[in-house]
Amino acid sequence: MTLGAAANNGMAKPISMRSLNKYYGQFHALKDLSLEVEAGEFLVLLGPSGCGKSTALRMIAGLESISSGELRIGDSDVTHVLPKYRNIAMVFQSYALYPHKTVAENIGFPLKIAKTPKEKMEAAVRAAAKQVELEDYLDHFPGKLSGGQRQRVALARAIIRRPAVFLMDEPLSNLDAKLRGNMRAELKHMQSALGITTIYVTHDQIEAMTLAHRVAIIKGGELQQLGTPKEVYSDPANLFVAGFMGSPSMNFIRGTLAEGRFAVGDFAMTAAGFAKTARATLGFRPEDCQVVPAGEGAIDAQVYAVEMTGDLVLVTLDLNGSHLVVKMPKEFDIKPGILAGIALDDTQFYFFDSDSGARLRAA
Amino acid sequence: MSNMSDTSDMNAPKALHRKPGLFEPRAIGSIAPATRFVLYAVLIAWSAFVLFPIYWLFITSFKDAAAVNQGPYFIPWVDFSPSLHAWRDLFVIDYEDTLRAYFNSIVIALSSTFLSVLFGSMAAYALSRVQYAPNLITILFFVLLLALVGVAIGAFGVDWRLAAAVGVALFFFLARAVGNLYQLRLRNGDILFWIISQRILAPIVVVVPIYMMFQSLRMLDTHLALILTYCVINMPIVVWLMYDFFNTIPLDLEESAQLDGATMFGTFYEIVLPLSRGGLAATTLLVMILSWNEYLLALFLSTTRAQTMPILVAAMNAGERGILWWTMSVVIIVMIIPVVILAVILQKYISKGLLVGAVKG
Repeated sequence: MTLGAAANNGMAKPISMRSLNKYYGQFHALKDLSLEVEAGEFLVLLGPSGCGKSTALRMIAGLESISSGELRIGDSDVTHVLPKYRNIAMVFQSYALYPHKTVAENIGFPLKIAKTPKEKMEAAVRAAAKQVELEDYLDHFPGKLSGGQRQRVALARAIIRRPAVFLMDEPLSNLDAKLRGNMRAELKHMQSALGITTIYVTHDQIEAMTLAHRVAIIKGGELQQLGTPKEVYSDPANLFVAGFMGSPSMNFIRGTLAEGRFAVGDFAMTAAGFAKTARATLGFRPEDCQVVPAGEGAIDAQVYAVEMTGDLVLVTLDLNGSHLVVKMPKEFDIKPGILAGIALDDTQFYFFDSDSGARLRAA
Repeated sequence: MSNMSDTSDMNAPKALHRKPGLFEPRAIGSIAPATRFVLYAVLIAWSAFVLFPIYWLFITSFKDAAAVNQGPYFIPWVDFSPSLHAWRDLFVIDYEDTLRAYFNSIVIALSSTFLSVLFGSMAAYALSRVQYAPNLITILFFVLLLALVGVAIGAFGVDWRLAAAVGVALFFFLARAVGNLYQLRLRNGDILFWIISQRILAPIVVVVPIYMMFQSLRMLDTHLALILTYCVINMPIVVWLMYDFFNTIPLDLEESAQLDGATMFGTFYEIVLPLSRGGLAATTLLVMILSWNEYLLALFLSTTRAQTMPILVAAMNAGERGILWWTMSVVIIVMIIPVVILAVILQKYISKGLLVGAVKG
């Protein structure tokens, strides 16, 4: 929370969005998005595809008009300002390299447009290329580069101008899995080294968890929760966030909350302090429970599948047709078909209203 | 960071290492000698087949009537004795007619090509980048009022300023009053089809109305009449080809340039124009050749002052002395030369694969 402290000293936030709305005809793509991004922060907009997160990013960039609301970058209102006056740089999912320009010309393009003197520009291109280890490729054309190299050209082009804000639209999604892991670490390192405020859009919750200072989870154009990766993971605001964050995702059991007990069929557990809810959902993470012999846990369920991932064993159990996943140590062994119990952690579980999806908290 | 380059080199494009296709160009040195011999033999034979008519044309231009009629003769100084009489006829005796037609052809083809490529590609770019939705009823009003104003001026002798002012006023009044009641809108696809549909109509169908139009404008036998007509018939081709071409340029590139600080003109000049060079070159060449060869409209719209080369060629066929093969050959040879020069200049831009590496991996 050191980030928050810096911003309280009366400095203008690098980016503040106030009730941003976007309509495409009748379709309400972004609903009342209000966010403030701190200086030097790495903010991730996370959500499933079509949730409006890219629309939000493109509105910040100025590539989409803002239907209503106010957008400020630094001290100025840029709601209706052209992209080029916003002092932002963006890395596109497709990289958007200029195919008829060399790597050096691509990286130097923002400076060329700004009519920077040639010598100064060459030095800056060299420095930016060094930062992304592309010095040996300055004369190459983008067509001759690999996916990872193209990605780094796009990054160099974005950092060369030292923009006020760095926007990234799923920059890693075109890379293969191994390279993506490398580039993720690379991005994180570069962002903290340069200290540039960054807004990053992704649908990949692992990317969000690993990169972000704060994550904004968006669904159907609406902000669901804003918080540090730890907060959204361990204290989800609603059913959607709980199910979206984490892999394998959280286990859910539908039942009823009444008189301090959560009940479903012949299973019941104490839930002291929770208000009476006719349709409630119990949620717990795969790592917050254990497989125990039948009868010894809170619930009994049949073992459906056992998967060895290397560092641990994922046990899937079948409870009246719905599947529950439990993470067990890699030495654990059990045969499918056996009836087993699931023991829950005393504190690590959540209740949600099944209808509204809202988190229920003990009074 | 140190291990980055290794990883990405492993990820280098596989396309570089694949086997070339059977008919794909490759370095001549990498082909086995026997294969190379056969290859050259076939290529030379085919070239001879293709180039022979041009050779035939060339020697015919140096033949006299006897050499043509008693022929076929193939080898100058052996079969027949070449003479410059046809060249002299055209460039010394009748040089005024020949050079005027040549000059007319060049001026008309170049200006109409320039104008139709300029405006046609601008229209194509707009159609590929901007979503239009004009109200159908407004357009109908516009066309109707345009026709009425035309009739009022033409048939009833109304002062054109008065007619235009009334027309404009009525248009805005109707568009405001009635236009919003009907929400039938045209989309880009409709506009594109309308433009292309102008070309579906064969020019022969409209050649008489066009003739009468230019007659009443007193513009028959002028360069401008032919330039404008060629623009109208060639523009649809330009729009059609360039629309497809602009669609292949990813929008991301232009958005990226805008974020990098480029103005709209800067984006067009730095990004769009260099990337569409190939398409523009191909379209220019095609439209240029179409205008250069055009005969029907030139026949109707020009008589002497604006006469173009195709008319001159046809005239060689219609003389009272029978078909003048030798002078016709001369005219055709000089007609071929500018097109060949233009093709040589433009062909280096007509290369494929310019967009490789723009987007995706």
